[in-house]
Amino acid sequence: MDFEVTYTEEQQRFRREVRAWLEANVAPSMLRTPTSAEDNYRRYLELRDLGRKLGAKGWLYPTAPAKYGGGGLDVDHAIILEEEVDRFDLSLPPYYDSGGRLGSASILVWGTEEQRQAFLPPIYRGEVRTWQLLTEPGAGSDLAGVRMTTAVRDGDGYVIRGQKIFVGSDNGTDRIWMIVNTDPKGKRHENLSWFMIDASLPGITMQPMELMGTGGEGGTDSGVKQTVFFDDVRVPAFALVGGENKGWTVATTHLELEHGGGGRIGRNRVWDRLLRYCQETKRDGVPLSQQQDVRDSLADIYIKTEVQRLFGLRNFYLTYARKPKSYEGPQLSYYRKTTGLWMTGAILEAVGPAALTTDPAWGAPSGFLETQQRNGIVSVHPGGTTDIQRVQMARRIGIGRSTREKAGTVHGAE
Amino acid sequence: MDLSLTESQEMLRTTARSFMQRETPVDVVVGLQKAESSLERDLWAKAARLGWLGIVLPAEYGGSGDSLSDAAVLYEELGRGPLPGPFFSSGVLGALTVLEAGTDEQRRRILPGVATGETVLTVAITEPNTSWGPGGITLAPQGRNGSFVLNGTKLFVSDATSATDLIVAVRTGDGPTDVSLLHVDAKARGVSTRRLPGFLSWQCEVSFDNVQVPATSLLGEAQRGWAALSRALERAIPILCAYIVGGCQAVYEKSVLYTQTRVQFGVPIGRFQRVQDHVVRLVNHLDSARWATWEALWKLDTGRPATASVHMAKAVASEAYLDVCNAAHEVHAGMGVLIEYGLPAHTQMSRTLFHYLGDPRWHKRRMADALEW
Repeated sequence: MDFEVTYTEEQQRFRREVRAWLEANVAPSMLRTPTSAEDNYRRYLELRDLGRKLGAKGWLYPTAPAKYGGGGLDVDHAIILEEEVDRFDLSLPPYYDSGGRLGSASILVWGTEEQRQAFLPPIYRGEVRTWQLLTEPGAGSDLAGVRMTTAVRDGDGYVIRGQKIFVGSDNGTDRIWMIVNTDPKGKRHENLSWFMIDASLPGITMQPMELMGTGGEGGTDSGVKQTVFFDDVRVPAFALVGGENKGWTVATTHLELEHGGGGRIGRNRVWDRLLRYCQETKRDGVPLSQQQDVRDSLADIYIKTEVQRLFGLRNFYLTYARKPKSYEGPQLSYYRKTTGLWMTGAILEAVGPAALTTDPAWGAPSGFLETQQRNGIVSVHPGGTTDIQRVQMARRIGIGRSTREKAGTVHGAE
Repeated sequence: MDLSLTESQEMLRTTARSFMQRETPVDVVVGLQKAESSLERDLWAKAARLGWLGIVLPAEYGGSGDSLSDAAVLYEELGRGPLPGPFFSSGVLGALTVLEAGTDEQRRRILPGVATGETVLTVAITEPNTSWGPGGITLAPQGRNGSFVLNGTKLFVSDATSATDLIVAVRTGDGPTDVSLLHVDAKARGVSTRRLPGFLSWQCEVSFDNVQVPATSLLGEAQRGWAALSRALERAIPILCAYIVGGCQAVYEKSVLYTQTRVQFGVPIGRFQRVQDHVVRLVNHLDSARWATWEALWKLDTGRPATASVHMAKAVASEAYLDVCNAAHEVHAGMGVLIEYGLPAHTQMSRTLFHYLGDPRWHKRRMADALEW
């Protein structure tokens, strides 16, 4: 076994090129904690601008096929890019782009050639930001139960009507990747369809939902989500991806990736800062990190973050080596969510009430621990609750049902 | 990056698995449980012929010169039994301790016999204080006429009742790590070994009553014993972890099968999400132990600093095996506690290895030290 990517001379040169480029193009202001809603929006625009620059180089979606505007890079180069971007506490894309990430992967697998050519380049080049819309008031964990939002065939297009909740982040979106009901009388799993549509179409309105989390562009950790209303929104038939009433099949790709099937490499940002904080903060004249009870807590926290890293690495390997997967995707998701939730208590115990305040004098630097206290809880639900992940695992292990469920397809045309 | 086994490792796995299926099905493992000695002669001879007893030894000492990862593949299979016998005690920890501590002459004298199985080693470390650190080693030999005399007790010594030779850690100075290693004939006058009774697997008491040990039995140099033993432990522990991973894997497979076949309320019990939760908990532990172990092995085999990873692997694996068995008992209920079903052999082993060579808390603290927090 080999747990590390071995880099060639050419790849090392690529790393230097990426690092120099990022140092020239990532302004320190992009990494600030926004001080107001307006400031949050200004920061978002800076991140979008960075996204377009990355996209122009093929670095926004590095492994996406070059013929559709992606980077066309192999996994080793993509890892270098992710690692270098991670040094700035950023990810690819550097803003919340769930519909871009998961929608583009689904379109690669299930879209027609014309749809790939139309939808993918703007995503890969950073020209558009896309939100995914799945959850409805009556369909959360039970995604197959989507029925409030419908699309009805009308001439050369469809008319969408209904409501989606817990959508996106702050600052609006350009595109919408959504699942709707296209046959209200149809059988479960045979009545859903996916659409990729323009977010500025007449009849679409949004209303913010304030969440317990913090951060405007933190993706799943966002402090703001939206309720999106569709009031007889006319969309072209071309926007339907994967065939009418074939939405559940398309969803297997989307959900496999959302449930962690793609894997992840990279360090745990909370851990590094937590350790530094405990080394620099004294209680009764002794650094927290030198106190046995705190050290014991830190050891437990460290081990969980390490196991999470190993699960992410394994899934990443299984994906790029194209090995069969079964329960590994939802396992990573389950482990990440339950660890984050558990860690809120563990950190509170290790650090004390300083973990709860954003106060610059008495809290941890830039309130990162307070953020974890909130987001460790908020992150339990997006992309499927911990219980949904367990159900998925059981089905794929092959218990509970007469046939074993297979992992979703994540590789498309390249 | 490549997280798959090599072709030769796959072959070794296949060989070992079919050997285990043929030679040590559940009834054999269960039958061995009450034996005073864990060593079953016929099995031991066959394992020696397959080259398993010298798997971590270089060719010049009669071994096969395989990597630690190769050895781990084998031990994962043995752990599925869990196969009793001094495989780890002699073939891994014993062999590596002699390799790390002994002079070249001592290695040439002792190790080939380990590889052929004629010599069976075990390393006696802890004492009634049950510490796994150097501070717990208090057994101090008296010097007399250029030889050593031992009086005292070593505890929780694995497989001592089947050992021919003991490597005994003794205190030879006042400094924290002033420890030396003695090579003692298990049949020497005054040495007695006894399997400890109860819910633990071949952990033994070794008593020394005026045991005369010649000066030549000092392995390597005096006071260097702890450093050598630490190096040996760092390489041996991940292989013990692999044995644990194999145990977890077997318990997992048993549990999955049971949820698929046991019918209550008219359906297989796997239909019930409460039961599924046990299996999820089980597989999460299994995979935690597996990947922590394999990353440590990879670091060791590629010469990377591995101390923290090794401590983490032992902590994670020990906790995993214990709770894997707990979860399996929740799945299996009454069937799980039937001795003949085979789960209790794992449960007992999971408790034994929880403590053996250091419990999770001990290893987590050593890990924190190694990471220089």
